[in-house]
Amino acid sequence: MRIFIPLALLISCSALAAEVRVEFNRDIRPILAAKCYACHGPDEDKREADLRLDVRAEAVKSAIKPGNPDASELWKRITHTDSDNVMPPPSSPKQLTKAERNLFRRWIVEGAEYQNHWAFEPIKHPAVPKSDSKNPIDAFIEAKLRTHGLKPAPAADPIALIRRVYLDLTGLPPVPADLAVLSNWSDQTYEQIVDRLLASPNFGERWARHWLDMARYADSNGFLGDGLRPNAYLYRDWVIQAFNTDLPYDQFTVQQIAGDLLPDPALEELTATGFHRNAALNTEAGVDKEEARYQNIVDRVNTTGRVWMGLTVGCAQCHTHKYDPITIRDFYSFYAFFDNTEDRSDAKNKAQTLAEVSKDRRQTYVHMAGDYTRRGPDVIPASLSALPPMTKPLLPEPNRLDLARWLVSPQHPLTSRVAVNHIWSKLLGFGLVRTPDDFGTAGESPSHPELLDWLATEFMRNGWSRKHLIKLMVMSATYRQSSAHREDIVELDPLNCLLARQNRIRLDAEILRDSALAVSGLLKRTIGGPSFRPPLPEDVFDVGRSSNWKVSPGDEIYRRSLYIITLRSVLYPTLTTFDSPDAADACVRRERSNTPLQALAMMNDSVFVEAAQALALRALREAPPEVAKRLQLLFELTFNRLPRAEELQRLAVFHREQKFRVKKDGAKALQVLGNISSSIATSDQTEAATLIAVARVLMNLDEFINRE
Amino acid sequence: MNRRDALQRLSAGFGAIGLAGMLGSQAQAAVKQQVTPKAKRVIFLFMNGAPSHIDTFDPKPALKKYEGQQPSGKLYKAPATSGFMSSPLQFNRCGQSGIEVSESLPRLGSIIDDCCVIRSMHTDVPNHEPALLMMNTGNIQPIRPSLGSWVLYGLGSENENLPGFVVLRPTPNIVVGPALWSNSFLPAEFQATGVITSDMNVDKLIANVRNPLLSSTQQRRQVDLIQRFNQLHAARRDNDSALESQIKSMETAYRMQSAASEAFDISREPPKMRELYGDTPFGRSCLLARRLAESGVRYISVYYTSNNNQPWDTHSDHYKRHPELCADSDRASAALISDLKQRGLLDDTLVVWTGEFGRTPYSQENKDKNKKIDPMKRGRDHHHTAFSTLLAGGGIKGGLAYGASDELGMNAVEKKVHVHDLHATILHQLGLDHEQLTYRYAGRDFRLTDVYGDVVTDILA
Repeated sequence: MRIFIPLALLISCSALAAEVRVEFNRDIRPILAAKCYACHGPDEDKREADLRLDVRAEAVKSAIKPGNPDASELWKRITHTDSDNVMPPPSSPKQLTKAERNLFRRWIVEGAEYQNHWAFEPIKHPAVPKSDSKNPIDAFIEAKLRTHGLKPAPAADPIALIRRVYLDLTGLPPVPADLAVLSNWSDQTYEQIVDRLLASPNFGERWARHWLDMARYADSNGFLGDGLRPNAYLYRDWVIQAFNTDLPYDQFTVQQIAGDLLPDPALEELTATGFHRNAALNTEAGVDKEEARYQNIVDRVNTTGRVWMGLTVGCAQCHTHKYDPITIRDFYSFYAFFDNTEDRSDAKNKAQTLAEVSKDRRQTYVHMAGDYTRRGPDVIPASLSALPPMTKPLLPEPNRLDLARWLVSPQHPLTSRVAVNHIWSKLLGFGLVRTPDDFGTAGESPSHPELLDWLATEFMRNGWSRKHLIKLMVMSATYRQSSAHREDIVELDPLNCLLARQNRIRLDAEILRDSALAVSGLLKRTIGGPSFRPPLPEDVFDVGRSSNWKVSPGDEIYRRSLYIITLRSVLYPTLTTFDSPDAADACVRRERSNTPLQALAMMNDSVFVEAAQALALRALREAPPEVAKRLQLLFELTFNRLPRAEELQRLAVFHREQKFRVKKDGAKALQVLGNISSSIATSDQTEAATLIAVARVLMNLDEFINRE
Repeated sequence: MNRRDALQRLSAGFGAIGLAGMLGSQAQAAVKQQVTPKAKRVIFLFMNGAPSHIDTFDPKPALKKYEGQQPSGKLYKAPATSGFMSSPLQFNRCGQSGIEVSESLPRLGSIIDDCCVIRSMHTDVPNHEPALLMMNTGNIQPIRPSLGSWVLYGLGSENENLPGFVVLRPTPNIVVGPALWSNSFLPAEFQATGVITSDMNVDKLIANVRNPLLSSTQQRRQVDLIQRFNQLHAARRDNDSALESQIKSMETAYRMQSAASEAFDISREPPKMRELYGDTPFGRSCLLARRLAESGVRYISVYYTSNNNQPWDTHSDHYKRHPELCADSDRASAALISDLKQRGLLDDTLVVWTGEFGRTPYSQENKDKNKKIDPMKRGRDHHHTAFSTLLAGGGIKGGLAYGASDELGMNAVEKKVHVHDLHATILHQLGLDHEQLTYRYAGRDFRLTDVYGDVVTDILA
């Protein structure tokens, strides 16, 4: 039996439109970008038949007669029956569908109007649609749902919502006491929770992790030697603090890209420039230093492009971009901003070893075909030509500080949109633009362009405060909806682009481990400081030529997952099994896979085994000595709710069976107690072993593994 | 059968129905298979450190004529060499095809009619790390998805009770490390399951595969309860397919614990069979590879490592070390190919035997304790412009020597085959078009072969 992906699933979010008129950005450009631009786009070297379709003035010269498809060569070619003449050529894997051909026809009939790519247009200040909703986000979302005849889902039940907002804002589940507010549940109590979580130091830990993914943070150099970076954690801690103090995003940006160029930079501002020092660095003996340096700068250019602008500038390293208006000259002009940093050899203190240090800029050239040995024309630092120019005059030439300030200038069409979209994606499961690392023409268009712009404006208007933005989002009814499956939207909106419900999210690797440690009481909550080394399975360490693996002492190993040392050659398998990134490149969006290996890890990995033991011990010690009470406490600690009658009954049956079995098996069955054995009275050991079996079951449930 | 039916039947108990079709990866696989497949699975035997082509599959009698002469032309680096060094090993015409194979590989020689030797391989760089990455991931820099992950992404798993991509190596030490079998940006379901084969106990072989403290019955009872709760949970959420697939994964994981215990257990093999493969780490790994292939594992890599983590890197004592390595590898590799053939599995199993590059036709000098050059210690250095790769089964022509290096084995000259071409060919045999097997990441479509690679059609049966 094979089930094919239903056709509807292949529809992208931007295609969900109610309007009738063909719109270039929404309907035509994606097809052109995916199927035509490779040969008829911005790249001169690859252009065929001297035809470019990305510029209207060029296209209407020969290929398109606006208003008259039958006289248009484009229409003739895409409908040609002769295999020598039909476009795209039959050898191309990118064939047009009938629906796409029809769209071209309608578009030409309607005048073949072009639009600039939406993401390069200035950010608009759209009016909030009329609505009864207090939160403007809901007004935008509901307006769009209405055009499809849909209503939002009902609010999530309070317990699910409290869990959701705890996990999203702090990466840790609530403790039973946090649920006391339920007796007095209202919008105000919810808002109080939100305010408290935003002020919690755990907020910075959780949101730093998102940023560290993009900063390709690691505690080692990568490549063969994979040398340690013992001070890298100072940058990680800076990020945590930046979130906790709500450092405005514009300053957050400037400090990371050019903190060293600020007048009389403070220690923190130097530490911030660790952002670009995070890149993998090949320090092997025998490596071509000039090439390593070139690759390192290329990484900085690409990462800056992806993280702040959502652009795949990297494509232009070797050739003018196939889809986006980024030329190879643009790439190396951008590169020139970074072509002047060198490692400080006379490091005076730890922060300085991390920091960028500027020397005179080197002469930068275009490197033909991305080959560092092939020099083309020389270039000077400049921003991308398709974007608004820098206000700073070209002489004396702009530096990295000017670049950083240009990124966060209110005229920049990308920075705020990209940041807002990234934050949205962490709270709603997906971005309004579903390709958060590609706002270019080959990426997806926003599902709610007005909302995106409204949020981007609001973000800047409120001093680039991320806490303000996050609060706005989590206070919305859109965020607070139930995530339950809706049969009525499956056909229309299989990807849930319209947000007629919240999205369920498989917990990120770090949250899973942290949650298990938290509910079991093992979690050590120290914030910041050097990274620790958890126990590793034998087959993982000792690879590459890394130093020996010394497990951190005592309860260090129970610290939060973001403090686990990230060695690029020895990634911690418990996390990578759940899609944590490898720190090779900026990771803007994680995969969320579901594999049997994950289930095996949840069942048998030592972290989760220890957590089950500790959780059972808690139940034994903290609950009254009755089976039902113990089961209830286990359930409550794990899910923040009491079991329903049916659940409790099944657990009780299981408990009875298991206890019988443990008694029968005697000493062998007591081996599951592991290290907690010594802390339990002999008379309680049978019960403890039984409770471990229950705890294992509970921590493996989907309700634990998912954020509803 | 729709999802709801499936879930209802699922509630009735696993094992009653095959749920393979519910897996997203399989649905995708159906879309991606573009070419009629000849092979269903791959066993990749990797000689870490790079074996010498001059002493295995590429005889160069002319080296005798130039013995001791300094190599000229474009060399990657100036070598400390006493000049060209001919192979003291004899090459024999083997099989019906009469392909010449070194006396150090007698057993592979005896089955050469089932094999294709490519003598015109070449790669980009003569350094281990980039060359290993090239052979394993198609790119000289870390980290890109490995060949095995691409194959799994393209075809899905053949057996839902086992991982689809298994990496065997006798020691944890391996140059570059797990990046050689990384799924990189491909979703984690296409990741490899890494297995250290130094201890063949099943518990030691697979991480987390068993909880040593619980019997299978106890686990089953726990998993049953987990699944019952998960079904209640899903039912309250209108049977969301995402939840259903988590239920499926949990079940597969449970079944892996018993299926893996059997498939990974070579103690179930008769002593004769173990003898045939050789009771060495590599021999045992090859035997395990065959068991896994038989059980439907899609892609199996066996790395030839030892405590010296790249044993074939014979910079010194070449003619002492090379024959020893060959003896071990020859026995196990030939046993594997013959065994597969006897079981009728060779037709749809592609076996690849290769290193990351070759070794220099000229010597590398080494000094003795007194810092004097010791001719007895001569080795061969890294060499990337010509080397040999052996293929067998999976719809590849047997008894074929394809391509050629020049008279001295310095450069591939005739019908050159780059690693990208090898990759394109492997994918092709599995029914995958290397140009169409793409994954969109960071704003562009990635493929294993980047923008290169041609299928070597001349070697297809």
